[in-house]
Amino acid sequence: MPADMAEQVTFMDYGLHRVPSKLTWAVQDAIDAVEHPSLIVLGYGLCGNGLKGINARQHTLLIPRTDDCIAILLGSYKKYIQEFDATPGTYYLTKGWLEAGSNPLQEYEEIKEKYGEKDATWIMDQQYQHYERLLFVAHNQADLDEYRPQAQEVAEYCQRWGYRYEEILGSDIYVRRLIEVAMAIDKTDSNFVVIPPSGEVTQNLFMR
Amino acid sequence: MSEIYEKLSAAILEGDADKTPKLVNRGLKQGLTPKEVLDNGLIVGMDEVGVRFKRGDMFVPEVLMSADSMAAGMLILRPLLVESGAELLGKIVMGTVKGDLHDIGKNLVSMMCEGAGFEIVNLGFNVEPDVFINAIKEHQPAIVGMSAMLTTTMRAMGHTIKAIEEAGLRDTVKVFVGGAPVDREFADTIGADGYGSNAPGGAELAKQLVGAA
Repeated sequence: MPADMAEQVTFMDYGLHRVPSKLTWAVQDAIDAVEHPSLIVLGYGLCGNGLKGINARQHTLLIPRTDDCIAILLGSYKKYIQEFDATPGTYYLTKGWLEAGSNPLQEYEEIKEKYGEKDATWIMDQQYQHYERLLFVAHNQADLDEYRPQAQEVAEYCQRWGYRYEEILGSDIYVRRLIEVAMAIDKTDSNFVVIPPSGEVTQNLFMR
Repeated sequence: MSEIYEKLSAAILEGDADKTPKLVNRGLKQGLTPKEVLDNGLIVGMDEVGVRFKRGDMFVPEVLMSADSMAAGMLILRPLLVESGAELLGKIVMGTVKGDLHDIGKNLVSMMCEGAGFEIVNLGFNVEPDVFINAIKEHQPAIVGMSAMLTTTMRAMGHTIKAIEEAGLRDTVKVFVGGAPVDREFADTIGADGYGSNAPGGAELAKQLVGAA
């Protein structure tokens, strides 16, 4: 990413998508805070409709045309669908999610504090018992090696539902293309959604 | 009388699966009908759960515990409701569509519809279109209910409706859909007859679809 672009990146809080309406408001606020008409790149997918209803205001929005971050991390929508079709019940782990503590093991620890072991176990079972696979998507071999112990700890916990643990190297190709298109918007293609000034993000734009 | 109703809806809100059946029994002992206990106690509680969940004041663990409390109450009421000859509104075939393994919401809607007087044929999760079609042939339901939790899987609802159409069965059933990513616009696009945004709303909608609301 060119330095002048990198200087203008705003990092949002982790986990806003868990309550999609919070994601909508947070991203809209961030857009509204940009004073001059600009091209704004949103590093999100549709994210459980978290982006639905966002208005471009006086800006142009550029968004990866994907359901969520997994396609971006894997490098393409096609790759995501392949993984999805292979095992629909896949729980994805990433470096970011491990750092932010968003995974079943961490979740269990948190609700155990609140509800006690018995109820927490039951709550976790209700939510996760049907998944089959835990897939750790890493950016590169170094990340894979560094975060493997943490991922395996989660995998060990998920053994209670018989998940198998797998690892895969992601690709930065989707992000690279995003930056290319951001620098020359006429290079956009069907992998991106462009919202013109005063346009609104709709679910339909992301359907393929 | 209203005191027991208040206690019941509070027990549902608190997700107290021990207290709920006790209160149900107490209500019945006081002479309330099973339907009164259900409509004015359990369902009032679940309605409030729906409101709070949507507002972000309640989260999945709490909703699960509320649903479990409701289920504990229903365990007592279900046979009594059948016995009392309460009007049956018809069958609903219910399932989470292909590729999707989330069944909490679908089970909750099933329970609410059962409370409203429907008989539920629960097909589970990751349900192939063919399985829906065979269930329609076998059970001849009034309604088919489909659920999806992900934008990646909600398309399968459209595929399933199309398959039902191609099987020549679309006119025999009403179809209603729901789930976190689903909205009315999407439901219209895929040709569903109705869309429910929460579990109590789903039961209301089911009643409307059979002309009972």
